[in-house]
Amino acid sequence: MTLHAEPFSIEIADPLAGQKPVSLLRDTLRNILRQRSAIVGLTALAFLVLVAIFAGVIAPFDPTQPLLGIEENARPRLAPCIHLLGCPAGQPEHLMGLDGNARDVFSRVVFGSRVSLQIGFLTVGFAIILGTIIGSIAGFFGSRADNVLMRLMDVLLAFPALLLAIAIVTVLGPGLINAQLAIGIVAIPVYARVMRASVLSIRGQDFVAASQALGESSGGILMRRIVPNALTPLIVQGTLGIAGAIIDVAALSFLGLGAQPPLAEWGSMIGDERNAVFSAPHLVLVPGIAIIITCLSFNLLGDGLRDALDPRLNR
Amino acid sequence: MTRYIIRRLLLSIPVLLGVVILVFILARIIPGDPCRAALGERATDAICNAFNVRYGLDQPIPVQFLTYVGNVATGDLGDSIRFGRPVSQILVERLPVTLELTVYALIFAAVFGILLGRLSAIRRNSPIDVATMVVANLGVSIPVFVLGLFFAYLFAVVLKGTPLSLPPSGRLTPGVEVIPLAKAWGLTSLGGPPRVVLDFLSNVNTINAVLTLNGSLLVDTLRHMILPAVALGTIPMAIIARMTRSSLLDVLGLDYIRTARAKGVRERDVVAKHGMRNALLPVVTVIGLSLGGLLSGAVLTETIFNLAGIGRTITEAIQGRDYIIIQGVVIIVAIIYIVVNLVVDISYALLDPRIRLT
Repeated sequence: MTLHAEPFSIEIADPLAGQKPVSLLRDTLRNILRQRSAIVGLTALAFLVLVAIFAGVIAPFDPTQPLLGIEENARPRLAPCIHLLGCPAGQPEHLMGLDGNARDVFSRVVFGSRVSLQIGFLTVGFAIILGTIIGSIAGFFGSRADNVLMRLMDVLLAFPALLLAIAIVTVLGPGLINAQLAIGIVAIPVYARVMRASVLSIRGQDFVAASQALGESSGGILMRRIVPNALTPLIVQGTLGIAGAIIDVAALSFLGLGAQPPLAEWGSMIGDERNAVFSAPHLVLVPGIAIIITCLSFNLLGDGLRDALDPRLNR
Repeated sequence: MTRYIIRRLLLSIPVLLGVVILVFILARIIPGDPCRAALGERATDAICNAFNVRYGLDQPIPVQFLTYVGNVATGDLGDSIRFGRPVSQILVERLPVTLELTVYALIFAAVFGILLGRLSAIRRNSPIDVATMVVANLGVSIPVFVLGLFFAYLFAVVLKGTPLSLPPSGRLTPGVEVIPLAKAWGLTSLGGPPRVVLDFLSNVNTINAVLTLNGSLLVDTLRHMILPAVALGTIPMAIIARMTRSSLLDVLGLDYIRTARAKGVRERDVVAKHGMRNALLPVVTVIGLSLGGLLSGAVLTETIFNLAGIGRTITEAIQGRDYIIIQGVVIIVAIIYIVVNLVVDISYALLDPRIRLT
């Protein structure tokens, strides 16, 4: 019996030969950029990041320095003075006026962007890391670990978030770091649940079984096979979570439990001047609008990411 | 169905126990001495010892915990350290304020959220849809304390003197009288749990006004509630609007809707009778889940609008290190929250016969 080496030598053109290989990253990026809300969000965010980086250049005054006695005519809650709008040239320009301690509000709002962006990323980062660990352990090892960890998460979820955060800050003592820690702890269950759900759906798939058959350790499978494949919903949830974290930490600062004076933080700026809202509303509205813009851009980006990354949506 | 409810009730017990443990631990590790917080820095050691004995603070922690669990189980939440009154009494006075606020906020959020979401879905991609979704996106990005202060300024200062002017603080205009139901109905001799329920209802101004036919009280209560309720309800309204829109769009794309249209059902009825009924299922869940946000937001709203509800009670108690009040309020709020989630789960199952409960 002889084997015919190549009985037929018909050339069939590779149907994919003409196409460039599509990289996953580029595909994802293209999908994201197709989302209008993601573009708006990214643009606004880029603007905020630039403001935060160049705060020292943009802000005309030291955000923590009361100008009383340093500058002529400076007094608490001085109305805004904008030269372009007819404010006498002899008077120093304060785009958004002075606050109750005679500090330049514009400079404080500009420097506040640094604090708020840092709050958003650190708080959510903390919650995501712990949530991922808890969720993947619960989802991967199942049974008892799952029960104990998830009941613990249920207990955290049984409290209205801000109330629990207030209780935690009370124990830790007021301060920006503690406020972030409290909001981070309160946010853990959300990420743990998202992670657990992804891990559960991935754990049964063939490539995981293949890794097991190849003798990879449980930890290795979890870290190298499952977690990277479960990150997408976490990224979407995290982006939306940043907006929530910024609002919640600002709320604690508003109540006096977060950022302490003289730090320029938007929530505490509003809290400090809340009784002045009837006479000098801009002192409350300006930092308020800053919070809204920041959260809106994270929310838009998060929505866009979700639409771009969700494989169930037809594009 | 009954089995499902029983199972869900049993499942809430470990969560409740966890809540009690967590609250107890948190309240114990708050820095500072409760005795000196209550009696002042100059209280002597002898006075403080007597104080600790009176409130059981001299007992070992496990004993304190068991005593506490036993008391909570029998409805005794202890006496406030600062006010020297039972926490349950304080709750009867202040919980109605928060209840009124959150219920009005929830009504606002549900009604306008569903209306906006429906409008948006029917007129998909029209300017109305875009505008509604911009409002919804803004709504989830505005902190409740910014919106509250903005409303206070707008309606109390800018619109002052116009018919739209609204009071920015407090629960009632000074001079408007509230007659307790017990007095109005001559039941002052009533005692025990019925009296507690009666006093609680009596402190809900809306209910009191309706039951005693007190028109001026009703109007004044509503006028004071509009601003805080709208401020508090805006975030859930935005979430509900987005949910209603996407849910209705999903449903309107289904085959049975096409069948209904093919049969010649009027478009209005297609949306109202066929579409909305199914689209509202996930919305019900969102409405239930937004209660946690409302209770959190109530802390801020009550601070801004000067309402003496449990949100403000808890911030005051934290400043005064009144462990007993903190424990009591947080546990009650957690219980309310757990019960509401249970009701939402069950109503979800009742609304959707496809969900088989086992």
